[in-house]
Amino acid sequence: MNWATRRGVHIDRAACAWLIRRFVDPDARFCFVADPADVPADATAFDMRGVDLGHHGGDCSFETILRRRDLADPVLWRLAEIVHEADLDDERYDAPEARGLDVVLRGLSMVCDDERVLELTGPIFDGLYEYHHRAMLLGREPA
Amino acid sequence: MTGRVAVGHWVLLCYRLPREPSTPRITVWRKLKRLGVVQLSDGMVALPADARTREQLEWIADEILQVGGEASIWLAEPATAGQERDLARRMATARAEEYATITAEARALTGDASPRERRRLADKLRAELRRIDRRDYFPPPDRDVAQAAVRALHEADAPGSTDAGDSTVDEEALP
Repeated sequence: MNWATRRGVHIDRAACAWLIRRFVDPDARFCFVADPADVPADATAFDMRGVDLGHHGGDCSFETILRRRDLADPVLWRLAEIVHEADLDDERYDAPEARGLDVVLRGLSMVCDDERVLELTGPIFDGLYEYHHRAMLLGREPA
Repeated sequence: MTGRVAVGHWVLLCYRLPREPSTPRITVWRKLKRLGVVQLSDGMVALPADARTREQLEWIADEILQVGGEASIWLAEPATAGQERDLARRMATARAEEYATITAEARALTGDASPRERRRLADKLRAELRRIDRRDYFPPPDRDVAQAAVRALHEADAPGSTDAGDSTVDEEALP
């Protein structure tokens, strides 16, 4: 399937792309557009104004995708808290990792194009997922 | 970045919200305040344009549309440098007041406060400083003063502190 989002990928879009590829559509192909009008007809848009998979009721797009696709995995919801705080910084959740992750993503977007940002952030989100997965099983921070 | 004080690009949100219910009005206004917008006129606010500020105002515009309001986003350049300086000054003044509050709070702590109280206030003020910093586009000198005042709280806490053990106790106690 084809997916489209805004150019200049930051935390929410990078996390959404990872989520889509890992949990929604393994064959996902992404394109990046400057204007909502440029979204190809066969593509599902996310994290853009006026689309279903965007910000809703105070949720960031990552949270919206989890809701729309009925993804109830608690580890994903823990990641959602981090992405939410990194993106919106509204202190709805306690996610101290968010600030650092946001800085890493902002820095990456200064030196890489969008495709490269997705390539590099894939393993970062895999790692975050694994870390929080183990933390949940152990009931404390894993080594 | 260069161009922060030369005539730059601004992103404007032009909006109108229904008078009732009042909750969305308040929510939107809180979000705008948190972003540090400068008000140009009734229902029109501005921020220096960058990818982040533009995106944040765009999401707020969507939220306004969703509750039945009207909202549009514009990219603009002030026609004169003076006009822009005036906006920058207003924003810097607003932030300066916020920094001054932090400085006053940090200095109000009396000498006989316990290290724990000192630490708690330092943490709270540091978080507050970060919030102000994020909406500070034209840092006034008051920022350095506030940062120094909060740092002083932490430093007073560091040498020979009687607060020792706060972070180590829990691990030691575990079997």
